[in-house]
Amino acid sequence: MSEAYVHDRETALVSDELGAYDRALDGAIAVAALNFVLGLATLVGALGPETSGVALTDVMLAVSAAGVGGVGLVAACAVLNVVEIPSRRIRGLGVGLVGGVILLTVFSTVPGVDMQTLMGVVLLFDGLAVGFAGIASRAGLVDTEPNASAGALAGLLFGAIGFVLGIALNGIVFGGTLPVVVVGTGLAVMLAAATVLPREDLGSTLPVALVVSLLGLVVASSVVDPGWSSIPAEPMNGGLTGSVVVSLFVMLGSLLAGWAAAKSRARYGARGRQYGSFLVIYLNAAMTVVVMVSIVAFVTVRGLDYTVHGFTIGALSGLVVLSPFLVAALAYARRPAGAADWHGGVRETVRVLPLAVVGAVAALLVSLVVRGEPFVHQFTYTIMENRQERTLETALTVTPELTVGTLVVATPSVVLFAYFFRKYGSLAGVGRTFDRQPTVQRALGGSVAATVVLAVVLLLGGSQPFGLGLGGTLGFGAVVITSAAACVLSLVAVSGLLAGNGSRARRARHNAQFVKVGLFGALGLLAGAVVLQPTTGTTPSIAGLDLLPASAILATVAGLSVAALATMARRATGTSDAEQRLTRRLLAEEIRLGLAGATGFVVLLAGHVATTDAPFSVAGLTLSDGGTLSWPMVLFSSIPLGAEPGGILPAVVGTVWIVVGASLFAIPLGVGAAVFLTEYAERGRFTALVEITTNALWSTPSVVFGLFGAAFLLPRLGDTPSLMAAMITLGFMLLPLVLITAREAIKSVPNEYRDASAALGVNKWETVRSVVLPAAVPGVITGVILGVGRIAGETAPLILVLGVGDAGQPVDVLGGFRLMASPPFVYNEALLEASKALPKQVWAVIAAGVSGSPSKGWSTALLLLTVVLSFYLIGILTRRHFRRKLDYE
Amino acid sequence: MSNAISEIETAGTDETGGLTTSGERAEEIQSEWTDYRLSADPKLSVENLNVYYGDERAIRDVSMDIPENSVTALIGPSGCGKSTFLRSLNRMNDRISSARVEGSVKLDGTEVYGPNTNLVELRKRVGMVFQAPNPFPKPIRDNVAYGPRKHGELNRGLVARLLGRDDSEAERELVERSLKQAALFEEVKDRLDDNALGLSGGQQQRLCIARCLAVDPEVILMDEPASALDPIATAKIEDLIEELAEEYTVVVVTHNMQQAARISDQTAVFLTGGELVEYDDTETIFENPASQRVEDYVTGKFG
Repeated sequence: MSEAYVHDRETALVSDELGAYDRALDGAIAVAALNFVLGLATLVGALGPETSGVALTDVMLAVSAAGVGGVGLVAACAVLNVVEIPSRRIRGLGVGLVGGVILLTVFSTVPGVDMQTLMGVVLLFDGLAVGFAGIASRAGLVDTEPNASAGALAGLLFGAIGFVLGIALNGIVFGGTLPVVVVGTGLAVMLAAATVLPREDLGSTLPVALVVSLLGLVVASSVVDPGWSSIPAEPMNGGLTGSVVVSLFVMLGSLLAGWAAAKSRARYGARGRQYGSFLVIYLNAAMTVVVMVSIVAFVTVRGLDYTVHGFTIGALSGLVVLSPFLVAALAYARRPAGAADWHGGVRETVRVLPLAVVGAVAALLVSLVVRGEPFVHQFTYTIMENRQERTLETALTVTPELTVGTLVVATPSVVLFAYFFRKYGSLAGVGRTFDRQPTVQRALGGSVAATVVLAVVLLLGGSQPFGLGLGGTLGFGAVVITSAAACVLSLVAVSGLLAGNGSRARRARHNAQFVKVGLFGALGLLAGAVVLQPTTGTTPSIAGLDLLPASAILATVAGLSVAALATMARRATGTSDAEQRLTRRLLAEEIRLGLAGATGFVVLLAGHVATTDAPFSVAGLTLSDGGTLSWPMVLFSSIPLGAEPGGILPAVVGTVWIVVGASLFAIPLGVGAAVFLTEYAERGRFTALVEITTNALWSTPSVVFGLFGAAFLLPRLGDTPSLMAAMITLGFMLLPLVLITAREAIKSVPNEYRDASAALGVNKWETVRSVVLPAAVPGVITGVILGVGRIAGETAPLILVLGVGDAGQPVDVLGGFRLMASPPFVYNEALLEASKALPKQVWAVIAAGVSGSPSKGWSTALLLLTVVLSFYLIGILTRRHFRRKLDYE
Repeated sequence: MSNAISEIETAGTDETGGLTTSGERAEEIQSEWTDYRLSADPKLSVENLNVYYGDERAIRDVSMDIPENSVTALIGPSGCGKSTFLRSLNRMNDRISSARVEGSVKLDGTEVYGPNTNLVELRKRVGMVFQAPNPFPKPIRDNVAYGPRKHGELNRGLVARLLGRDDSEAERELVERSLKQAALFEEVKDRLDDNALGLSGGQQQRLCIARCLAVDPEVILMDEPASALDPIATAKIEDLIEELAEEYTVVVVTHNMQQAARISDQTAVFLTGGELVEYDDTETIFENPASQRVEDYVTGKFG
């Protein structure tokens, strides 16, 4: 898709010139979206409508930092041409979002209002903006193409809204004194008429302006406050509370305002309807997501306190942890969004969303470092102590320290190194080879090997290997020489790019082999030196700076420079289309190479600190062995909090093992049966019987499985409830779904593949193994994902077969394996023990009220959600991996 | 074009009754036949072959010899059994549970339908290319090397490398040679590790030919290999078939009579009900056929 085409379509759909009118409406849409999110936040209880003063300022400052950071990162990527964002609407929305959060922050700080007033005022503003847009259009101040009327459908919609609002307002403002039907119908007729009768620009804005402003007034003037209740009469149960009404009003108003503003932004008429309806349709689809998000958010809000008890992390450590997410978000955002139609615009937004989230979190962390104040989220929760409730105070703390722990550095770096290296693929295929390359590569390999051999010799022989007193000196010299050589080599990589002919792109392409040898050679040498260093106990330094980490940093800078240069060069593209593509491809490979090198060097840095125990600082940043991370309580088995066992780890570990065990049991069995039924068995009574049986098994209630497990399995597995019994019981439940989906997936593999394989003389089993099954894998994984989701949250069977388990100690399955001389040869004590599991613990704590307080129950529920979603994520990523292998992309 | 074909097809089905009911006329035609044994030492020799799908007889008493290193075209209207005949030459009909074969097919004098036939060996010697290109959803390299790898002729992977029996180099050569034979190498040499489904239809079909060549067959059966392709891709496939005939015995089913005339050395005409009506040098079939019906068919008149 050429650039020109994208812009043609864009201008064809939305007017090219951006006036104040467009900017204002983009802003109104963005602010409406923001207000919707705030409304949602108050609905799930993350933020009270009565929040005000310093608390609100803090919240709004955080929101604005996040907004600016998120939009800023996306914008930076767009400017660097890393992510393509051709849509003007999205750019306008981004600018509007930044302006909106800053304005809101200022507004909430200066007059000192509370959350409810803030949201009300924003609604009022949005309503007025929409109203003015309509009037400006009707007065001919802007160039629009409205239809004669907004249409009967819109009229009907506003009539309905008017009816409901009339009844609601009657109850709220007048205390229900006026006749309900009269007020409702009156407002309905009024709004419907205002929608249908005037020209479209007025018809689709004025009623919205009216309704939204009214909602804004009601919310802002605190007619409805958190203490308000819709049910004045005592005998009636239920009813809406004030805070819910406020949230719902804000969300409804924001939706309406956003829709009308979008319509005005697209100049009414056919295009306006298109934009407006797309917004509504996507919002509709988004609402299903909102339901999911609301559940997750609600459980998170309730359970987070207990879960993150005692969690402390340094801001810098947080930033380091963020880096793999940044890479993943970038890779996601870089994929083209397809045709530049309306859907394309939405897709673009969805693609950059994760990037914006990463940017937002990063900005929050950076703002902590800049302000130098720790972020402390105080909260309290109750525990049961000797059957008495006791309140505990704790906090989630993010400190502005500039210290990073080796573990925190090393883990994301290893992930990134693996990712980039895999992406980079074949090292051999880049650029031309220089004359002496084989010699250099051999020499490099030799010196790395020599360093490692020396290290091993020194390690085994001590400081006097072979009776020679040269050990320390030799090792010291080797460390110095390899570090220096690594420095020189890594500089070669950059100098090759800087000194050369032609554009940067051409130079990068030409010197690819230099870059390769430089980066990976230096990496290898330094790796050797790191191995050597602890055995000799030397830390060679130059001018107070440790030589080894210093050269690692130098090489990191070199690697990153290559990446940066290549990114810049990517913009300086060749003339012909093919040349341009080739250059881009080569440069993309160079970027990966540079980043792979850089992360590799970071790993070395961490390795150095870990082996020498010596913290290393440069420019105020410290890499230390310890770091600034203290894990949340939940990751501990037990914390002495009065009588209540504090940790939830045993339950997490139990659930993970149950799911893994059930999958190991059910997947091979299910897939094997599916292969037999589809590929080998004749279609007939037997396969039909199997089909009926599997379907029946799938719809069998889980408690029946549990009873079967308890009555049949337990007597045969040591007569006590155990992890093993739970695994097999849930495996039985998983089996039918895996079988059904695997069968469908295998059936849907085209017969042509089987014919082609048979015609090559390949037998059936080989055909199934290497053609049919690989093509069916994504379908099979879909089934497994669904099944795992079901069994991970299954409670009833676990109550019967899992037992109570030790609260203080997670099951140690890996450490429980014992080999024996007599059958069954392998024995695992841990598998035959009772264990804890998350869903059962939720039931026990919340419903049955044993062993713990509600806080712990919610926290357990949150972790259960996290575990299930993690399994989903793993499944979806695996499926995507295999799908991509099957597709020709 | 398609109109003309459908007319021919309709004409063909119209004739069904005429030919099958009037045994007298069929006999008369057979007496006019030239000897269908064109070669003293045939590569494939078919005798009294009958193929049934359930109760329906798809091939009737067909006998013909296919000479080595030549192109034999099978032509005829739709549903005349030429594809079934082709599939019976490497026993692909065995894969259809309702199919039953009677009669004899000999490859170099050895009975294909014998009780001790090794299907793997047979299909290695008699390869097949299908009507629609059907590459596996795998990299191009894996597609070509698929057959030899599965037959254990190429050892790859960690274990092979540790045992010092790694055939990566041999595989590279084999892939290159097969792709060159299929006239595809130049087009795909930079993207051997890309998924084969990313190729165009014509390229996919040549890849299928390369995949077939990689197992080093003696006979290549092609079932309308160009019918799903555009004219340029068709021309490439036709050139390729002519080149392949220098080393291999090629049997090709085609709908397109011009194509048969262009590429084949001898042509067999199946008209209706699975009967072989005439089999002779292509030149004779197209210029001086023994039977009036064949003449009508090849000139597009059909009666």
